[in-house]
Amino acid sequence: METGNDVELVRSFFKRDIAQVSKPGRYLGIEVNARRRPLTARGCNCVLVYPDVYEIGMSHLGLAILYEEINEREDCMADRAYLPWVDMQELMQRKGIPLFGLESRVPLNRFDVVGITLQHELTLANVLRILSLAGIPLRAADRGSRDPLVVGGGPGAYNPEPVAEFFDLLVLGEGEEVVHELLDAVREWKDMEKGDRPGFLRRCASIPGVYVPSLYRVHYRPDGTISGIEPLEGAPMPVRKRVVSDLDRVTRPRRPLVPLVESVHDRCSLEIFRGCTRGCRFCQAGMVYRPVRERSEDVLYAWGREMISATGCDELSLSSLSSADYSRIISLAERLSRDLERERVAVSLPSLRTDSFSVELASKVGRIRKTGLTLAPEAASPRLRSVINKEVTDEDLLEAVSAAYREGWRKMKLYFMVGLPGEEEEDVEAICSLVRRIMREGDSGRPPRGLRLSVSVSTFVPKPHTPFQWVGQLSLPETARRHFILKEGLRIRGVTWKWHTREMSYLEGILARGDRRLGPVVEAAAREGCLDNWSEFFSWERWRRAMEERGLDPTWYVERERGEEEVFPWDHLSAGVDRSFLWEEYQKAQRGEATEDCRYGDCLGCGVCDGKEVSGRLAGGGS
Amino acid sequence: MKRILVKYYKKGDAAYLSHRETMRAMERALRRSGADLVYTSGFHPRVKVSFAPALPLGVSAEAEYLEVAVEREPDLADMTRRMNEALPEGLRVVSLQVLPDYMPKLSRWARYGLYRVEGAGGSFHLCLRIDGEGGGRLRDALQKLEDRFGAGVDAVTRVGIYASRDEILEEYPDKVYFYHTENGELEIMEESGAG
Ligand code: SF4
Repeated sequence: METGNDVELVRSFFKRDIAQVSKPGRYLGIEVNARRRPLTARGCNCVLVYPDVYEIGMSHLGLAILYEEINEREDCMADRAYLPWVDMQELMQRKGIPLFGLESRVPLNRFDVVGITLQHELTLANVLRILSLAGIPLRAADRGSRDPLVVGGGPGAYNPEPVAEFFDLLVLGEGEEVVHELLDAVREWKDMEKGDRPGFLRRCASIPGVYVPSLYRVHYRPDGTISGIEPLEGAPMPVRKRVVSDLDRVTRPRRPLVPLVESVHDRCSLEIFRGCTRGCRFCQAGMVYRPVRERSEDVLYAWGREMISATGCDELSLSSLSSADYSRIISLAERLSRDLERERVAVSLPSLRTDSFSVELASKVGRIRKTGLTLAPEAASPRLRSVINKEVTDEDLLEAVSAAYREGWRKMKLYFMVGLPGEEEEDVEAICSLVRRIMREGDSGRPPRGLRLSVSVSTFVPKPHTPFQWVGQLSLPETARRHFILKEGLRIRGVTWKWHTREMSYLEGILARGDRRLGPVVEAAAREGCLDNWSEFFSWERWRRAMEERGLDPTWYVERERGEEEVFPWDHLSAGVDRSFLWEEYQKAQRGEATEDCRYGDCLGCGVCDGKEVSGRLAGGGS
Repeated sequence: MKRILVKYYKKGDAAYLSHRETMRAMERALRRSGADLVYTSGFHPRVKVSFAPALPLGVSAEAEYLEVAVEREPDLADMTRRMNEALPEGLRVVSLQVLPDYMPKLSRWARYGLYRVEGAGGSFHLCLRIDGEGGGRLRDALQKLEDRFGAGVDAVTRVGIYASRDEILEEYPDKVYFYHTENGELEIMEESGAG
């Protein structure tokens, strides 16, 4: 690789200026277990980007897996980048320093592939900020043979339409296998001097799971709805997500990177299974990560120990969407915690179910810090719970709280949502009375003395590929009214409550179900700011204005109930679950009917399993 | 229980790790060192370890110290090797030493920091107290030096930590500047007898 002027610039920046910024440890790239490989001449050079700050990005498992997959190959390499904190951004812009890969300190625009994960709607402006800091043309159409291929992935790829024009391609679903098919394609293209970019993208579109936005034309009706999405030049319709059928056979971060700066989740994550089929109707993860595939217990046991000895971490988190659901959870958790006890490593279970089994298990396996426990009943009234298909009762919750109290927890956090479809005033009031009941009976029927309860309330945002993709989201004034009910009703000793900034959820709603016409809006908003998920930087005004200037109406995107036949901006993208299944679930929600979990029960025909490669898999055998 | 004194250096990019980040990295390396560590009790047990007073961000060090408690005496060579495999580039263990019981704790003897200051005015040594109140006023001391010599400072390295000024003079008989943190005065260090 020739070293150019910009590489030198970055080098001297480190010598002269890096001490000026806050927490320079975030930009050094000398983490333990960092591969620090040089760029290759013929192979594919990738930089994996988390479009948020280091402390958040370093905890992300998906990119850690890809980092491992790519760096295991002789012929290719992967570096990393995050969104620099505001002071660093400012300094880099002032000094003309392009965004660089942390380990190689080579500017992003010299890589072959810039891979960006889309984890949350409020990081979309960050994506554009990253491209502009890197000096990469924002629009895929404006990129030439010397520009990197900008590739997207993660859950946001299931509706990337608001940022579709900024990506050359996106990958739907799990990346472990498709990443290699893409790397091979890029290598070949590199051998041909990267000529004919459109032709190369057409070839990529034939790789299952690869979505090339420029190969689809969207037609709109005068009322703003979509009349059709037209695939061009033989592009697949729909693009189907990739699923890894046997998780024991794909790799995991063997030697996870050890963050230099304290990050949000300072622990090793051992992914015990993927998917969740409990069928909560608001939950996008539960729909798009289907089916359930468990790893086998012995594999996990060995991997868990290996991770700890490779990092010196003091916490091993058995991660998944609902860890207590793992079929061999007791045995696995007990074996690991017994073994790791000597080194004072705590085994932890994130995402606890709202029942006493989970709480007792969590308490038994780990010498878990009794500082905080989170339970997520989501809705407080039985009626609303049957709407969202969350089969938890007040009794389950009370038992879970009592169990936790007995085990020594004195601080607990409860998660609720407001604005769920069909929610009435009394459902909001039910949150208050449930909380009051906990403070009265939370210690096995007695008042739990010394218990501090923090109630966290988010606003429901309808997400694509879920049964609620058709529903209207709550308006801002109506959300405020429901928050007011909570404000009055939650004046209870020992209880504090927090709510999500209403305008943030509203913006999330715009982008979650947004279409391509929002591209210029995101671009304009990103010019003036970023880090929208940080309340100190979020500005609704900036977004509102950007939409207004382009004649787009936020309420149309957010509050409008969609008809059964409406073409969604993401209809050419498939997470495997049939639209008819989702519609049926939506109808059942309105009737308050339950849907069983197919993990142990019968198949419900959601469409994701194909009876061949893709099917559910449990560690105890069987499927 | 035994105490081990770990002497390590902090150079290159690692100089930009804060004190807290350095502590984290060292603790992680200790956990991977194979030694039988002593832990604090409670729900969040931690390695029983104490560090010398913080080094300002951006300053390298040739001889930093930490003291760690172990259940039994480990194989020191093996422990050094394992720790060095588990540390980020720029942080390296130089030596390990099992402390005899009569040796005072690190926090009792780590009083003076000796710095090598390089700049347009040449290279010289600067000493100041790093413990207690007013300790660690390195920035002020450097400012004073710059004012005195009218020349900028390019690089600062902590070359050692000492219990007394006499120890420093023994090792560095040439001119060493001493910065009084109480009154901001800079003077040439001489045998004081006071320690
Ligand atoms: S296809 Fe059937 S078994 Fe597979 S996830 Fe859907 S409901 Fe469950």
